[in-house]
Amino acid sequence: MVDPSFLGFPRRFGRAGVRNHVLVLGINGLVAPAASQAAARIAGSRLVATPYGRGQFGADKALHFLQLAGIGANPNNGAVLIVGADRKSADAVAEAIAQRSPAPVEAVTLDDTQEDAHELVARAVRAGTRLAREASHGRRVRLPLSELYLGLECGHSDASSGLAANPLAGAVADRLVEAGATCVVGETLEWLGAEDALSARGADGTIGRRIAAAVMARERAVTAAGVDLLGDNPGEENIRGGLSTIEEKSLGAIAKAGRHPVTDMLGFAQPPSGRGLHLMDGPSYSPESMTGFVASGTQMILFTTGPGNSYCSLIAPTFKLSANPAACARLDGQLDFDAGAVLQGRLSLDAAAGHLLAELIAVASGTLTWGEAAGQGAECFTRIGPSL
Amino acid sequence: MLHPHRAVAVSGAAESGWDAVRIAAADDVAVALRDLSGTVRVLCGAGIEEVALAQPVPFGHKFALADLAAGDAVRKYGAPIGRLTRAVRRGEHVHVHNLKSRRAGAGG
Repeated sequence: MVDPSFLGFPRRFGRAGVRNHVLVLGINGLVAPAASQAAARIAGSRLVATPYGRGQFGADKALHFLQLAGIGANPNNGAVLIVGADRKSADAVAEAIAQRSPAPVEAVTLDDTQEDAHELVARAVRAGTRLAREASHGRRVRLPLSELYLGLECGHSDASSGLAANPLAGAVADRLVEAGATCVVGETLEWLGAEDALSARGADGTIGRRIAAAVMARERAVTAAGVDLLGDNPGEENIRGGLSTIEEKSLGAIAKAGRHPVTDMLGFAQPPSGRGLHLMDGPSYSPESMTGFVASGTQMILFTTGPGNSYCSLIAPTFKLSANPAACARLDGQLDFDAGAVLQGRLSLDAAAGHLLAELIAVASGTLTWGEAAGQGAECFTRIGPSL
Repeated sequence: MLHPHRAVAVSGAAESGWDAVRIAAADDVAVALRDLSGTVRVLCGAGIEEVALAQPVPFGHKFALADLAAGDAVRKYGAPIGRLTRAVRRGEHVHVHNLKSRRAGAGG
């Protein structure tokens, strides 16, 4: 029997954190180097510095802002230092974060220093040091699994993903949903060929129709561009692994979504309002998809792969799972869980799901994933339009 | 890495019982559970079928469980995953050289 609780950082409102980061958030490319220099001098800080943030307009600008605010408001942050150029946009991001997160937020800008970048770094280090000390007052306490919001991602899938790794991830998602937690599956293009089964699981009819429409919109974009998905999705690693078409990849990929009804389909980076299983309409490139999850508030990501894929989120601990026996033998120290026994029929999905859930709870309670231990992690901003 | 099968008692018999698996009853293909060649045992529901492979089939790749015609839909997970661009015999490797998506303008 898995202990149905974890040790997390409670927040005054919103979900608990499974980590207690001091986030240094560079909100446009002009100040990214200064944000990077400051972060290097603030103990235990995490740096997310967008290369964009200026010269954007319309929906692209709004989505970039939603990603910045969402990354800042992620419950894994115990404090946030915004590094900006103009005071007005820095305050706008700070305010948007404060609406969704109780973490202390401070902002330093080039406006305050009359464009003096040396002075900006000095002020950022001073403010960041203060925030780091403040965040260190946080303590883990025992919390119910219903506090968790898990992202489910796959990357470099092969046939073992659809046979074992994704069904196993889905079985864990089911258990979390039954415990009152929230889960999200993204990558709209990888519902293509499996949308009938997904749409039928919408908690009401409108959700099913929105799922089908989201898939159709991506498919139309591909068709309109006149490109062949083969070689891109499925990609070269997928094809080497035995996956021949997008339909085949999708039917394996949606096994991550388990069996429960779909509560809602979220827009990219949108936080869920309810609990249970969610879909997110977003890109299928994992770094972008995962940043959408992080901006939506996921504290952890369960990432299935076939031959291995080392990419991890910087903000949400990313737990790697493979059922490919050769990959598991080769990548000890990168993959967190070997599901090869499920593929070979030596261990039931149910028994493996119990082991996997216990491991995820340990990570939620502070055990490092291999990606965290290796010091690897990043966030990747999505653009949906050209710059001015 | 956690290897859960090392933490539980498992009979070794199942491991050597089959080489490939048909995922759903309606499927036209089976999936190789290791690099395969020659005559192999396929887990089909509760039973085992022997299939003579026409060529080596790598881990994770598919082979046909029946003779199929060009233009036929191929099913895996009980659902169509594309259409054959040429006829395929039982035991033949099915992949991008003879199977094409029907979606996103790829196969019409």
